Amino acid sequence: MGIFSRLRSIQTNMVLAFVILILMTILIMSITSYYLTKEAVHSKAQAYTTELVKQVNNNIKSYVSGMKSMSDLVVGNHAVQQYLSTEKFNSLAEEKKAKEAVSDMLESMLVSRTDISSVNVFGYGGQFVTGRKDLELNPYIDIASLSWYTKAKEAGGESVISPSHVQPVFKDHYPWVVSLSRELISRDGETKLGVFLVDLNFSVMNDMVKEIRLGQRGYLFIVDSTGKIVYHPQQQLIYSTLKSEMIDQVLEIKNGTFTSDEGSDSRMYTVQDSDFGWKIVGVSYVNELVDNQNEVRLSFIILGLICIVIAIIISFFLSQRVSQPIKQLQDSMKEVEKGNFNIHVSVPTTIEIGRLARAFNIMVGKIKELMSQTVLDQEQKRKSEINALQAQINPHFLYNTLDSIVWMAESNKSREVVLMTSALAKLFRASISKGEELVSIGTEIEHITNYLMIQKMRYKNKLDYQIEIGDSVQHYLTIKVILQPIVENAIYHGIKMKHGPGLITITAEETDTDIYLIIEDNGKGMDEEKQRTILLPAPQLGEGRGVGVRNVHERLKLYFGAQYGLTYKSALDQGTTVYIRIPKSIPSVKEELGCLGDTSGR
Amino acid sequence: MPWRHKWSIGAIAFILIVIAGLVYWFNGLSDKKPLDITVIIKSTDKSIEFWEVLVDGIHEASQEFDTNVQVWGSKAETDVDEQIALVEKAIRGRPDAIVLAANDYDRLVPVAEKVKKSGIKLIIVDSGIDSDVAQSIVATDNVNAGKEAGQAMKQHLEGPAKVAIISYVKNAASHIDREKGVREILSGNPNIELLDTFYVEGSEQNAYLMAKEILNEYPDMLGIVGLNEPTTVGAGRAIRELEVKERVKLIGFDSSFNEIKLLDEGIIKATVIQRPFQMGYLSIKTAVEAVRGKKIPGIIDTGSLLITKRNMYEEENQKLLFPFVGN
Repeated sequence: MGIFSRLRSIQTNMVLAFVILILMTILIMSITSYYLTKEAVHSKAQAYTTELVKQVNNNIKSYVSGMKSMSDLVVGNHAVQQYLSTEKFNSLAEEKKAKEAVSDMLESMLVSRTDISSVNVFGYGGQFVTGRKDLELNPYIDIASLSWYTKAKEAGGESVISPSHVQPVFKDHYPWVVSLSRELISRDGETKLGVFLVDLNFSVMNDMVKEIRLGQRGYLFIVDSTGKIVYHPQQQLIYSTLKSEMIDQVLEIKNGTFTSDEGSDSRMYTVQDSDFGWKIVGVSYVNELVDNQNEVRLSFIILGLICIVIAIIISFFLSQRVSQPIKQLQDSMKEVEKGNFNIHVSVPTTIEIGRLARAFNIMVGKIKELMSQTVLDQEQKRKSEINALQAQINPHFLYNTLDSIVWMAESNKSREVVLMTSALAKLFRASISKGEELVSIGTEIEHITNYLMIQKMRYKNKLDYQIEIGDSVQHYLTIKVILQPIVENAIYHGIKMKHGPGLITITAEETDTDIYLIIEDNGKGMDEEKQRTILLPAPQLGEGRGVGVRNVHERLKLYFGAQYGLTYKSALDQGTTVYIRIPKSIPSVKEELGCLGDTSGR
Repeated sequence: MPWRHKWSIGAIAFILIVIAGLVYWFNGLSDKKPLDITVIIKSTDKSIEFWEVLVDGIHEASQEFDTNVQVWGSKAETDVDEQIALVEKAIRGRPDAIVLAANDYDRLVPVAEKVKKSGIKLIIVDSGIDSDVAQSIVATDNVNAGKEAGQAMKQHLEGPAKVAIISYVKNAASHIDREKGVREILSGNPNIELLDTFYVEGSEQNAYLMAKEILNEYPDMLGIVGLNEPTTVGAGRAIRELEVKERVKLIGFDSSFNEIKLLDEGIIKATVIQRPFQMGYLSIKTAVEAVRGKKIPGIIDTGSLLITKRNMYEEENQKLLFPFVGN
């Protein structure tokens, strides 16, 4: 069975339709619910990231505000003001004492503060005081050129927070720090005294932020207000342009979230602005936001597959239910084809197929009925034939004829006796005629001639007859003994009832398809009532007028079809004309007959 | 009934197609399986910043590309046998890829070939071997780095001068390449007389002594190129001691605390540094791509950078010069 022919099968079609339908449904459902789930997780992740970034921001803010409060203390500190504003100390000892007051104050700030790398005061007069007594200035560094110094000067008394950087100010120390610097101004606000610097160990922030991972690849980074990176786990990759960060967009928004458009590598930025100019940014990879994405996908796939398998099984059963009775019906039809009509299909519960099965049963019943009808018809035919034969061997006719023969013999009319007897013999031979049903019109004419000859001898001048049949119709076939009952009828009920001699004429007419044998008598004729009823089936079969005629009519109809048979035309005291209509062609029968005729000719 | 078989085969095929479609729609599950990568570096000595930073890059990449990375290494860079044993051990662990920084240019070749034979991808980082079995080599282009040093030297020299090159060891590929780069730039310059290369047999002290000798021998305008960190620092110490930093221009390679100090002091005029973080990161990235069957370049140059006193505190260079390794 080819694929395409299978595609035409109802079962395959149904299974396919079911599977496709269910597949589509499952696909649409899974995709929708997958995206809904994703959306939900997405917003959850966003909320989580925002919370986390806020937390980091608060921690960082606490460090920065710690540094700020240190700067506040130093700015307003009397000792610092004193030391920096004094242009010239009276003695070295006095200078040393003032310096020590400042350094003690700074040192006290550093107590239990491991996060602070150093606290320093740089006077514009070249003074330098640090809270870490072990630190020396790096002689090769021009402090005034460093950015935290210049920026503090520009800010005029405001705190300046640097990005993370290496602090090269101290000899043999290169720590990573975040610097807060602030210009020191005298209390009266007139004189600028110097710059205060506090360095926060950057490792404090680094350690805090480094450990935070948003998903597998997500991370936090920090930029300052100018877009310089304070912290980034992949800082080096960014400097060498192996990676890039959406710094411009980060700087544009204060707080909030946006997503970069990088296809499968899209990143979600969650920005939190700290109040000192930094922005804490959480970066998550969008395709990672659904943490258990794979499990979600997998469960959707597995569920989908299970549904598909179930769908296929169900559709198999369903289509089986539909197609099975059809197949059964088909099998029964094949039985019928073989000729077995004794079949009854059980009616399935499905309405449509049930109807079909019922209709099939009815049809088979009808066929069966028709078949038996045909058989019945055949039987009828045989019966009619026997009747016809009986009609031939009408005993009255026989003993009347024999009576005539006896009478003629007594009168020594031996020539007539011979004639009559031989005609009688011919008549019987013809009517028995080898048991065949069909004979040529010629034979039939011969038969009726013999009959009429006998009757003529009996009735003498009372009866006269004429037979005018052209050669062209002689060879056509007809069933036998159709003329005799009609002629007999014409004699006994037509001519015999009439005064004076009667004439019977037998002629033939032909049309394209049919032949009409016409028997005309000038006897008594029939009234209309008689005409109407003569061909109708009699209430009982038996003697009396018309039995033979009716038999002829029925046989013709059985043999050749309903349109064939007898037609009566009659007028009282005028005579009667009977038309026998028979078809010209009964080819199949003719052939068979020709063959039979051959064998019988021997 | 054969058609039933056909039908079920068709159904199974259909289901498989649907599964494939779903998997394709979900953008592949198999892609997400973490890879195993074993990294074998030259030295696990924590004091060597270069390797610490490189390992940092490795970890960064392993986070990003979702790989299980194991980092092994011999204690000392000179321990070739231990490194060979480590590679053997790595092969037995059957990782998806091995990243190797070879301790020896020749002796690691057989074991590297064994890696390839075992069907494990091999990526060379920093230091290569005398074989082309590796899928890719992630390293600094040392000829280029030498050229950068040569350019810097050319700029610092005023008027006629002699240039001495001090090399750490005689047969190190990186040194040969660097020297080649330096010579390519400086040779053919009428003002510059290139002296023969001085070899210090793997010792900073020797470099110091050698530099002192050179300084004493050539009292005029002089340029010295130290081809790695110890030679540079050794020469720097000699210059500091003899206080000839105005007359002698020292160009070095790599960076260290001592080199930074010498840069600060103005003794080292410039140093050419590598990018170990990039090397580590790119070695893992390349290994992942190699395992995933992507086309990867045979050589990845992580580049070099010229650091002078003027740009040493610039934002971009701070991270390179002052690696922030967990301190």
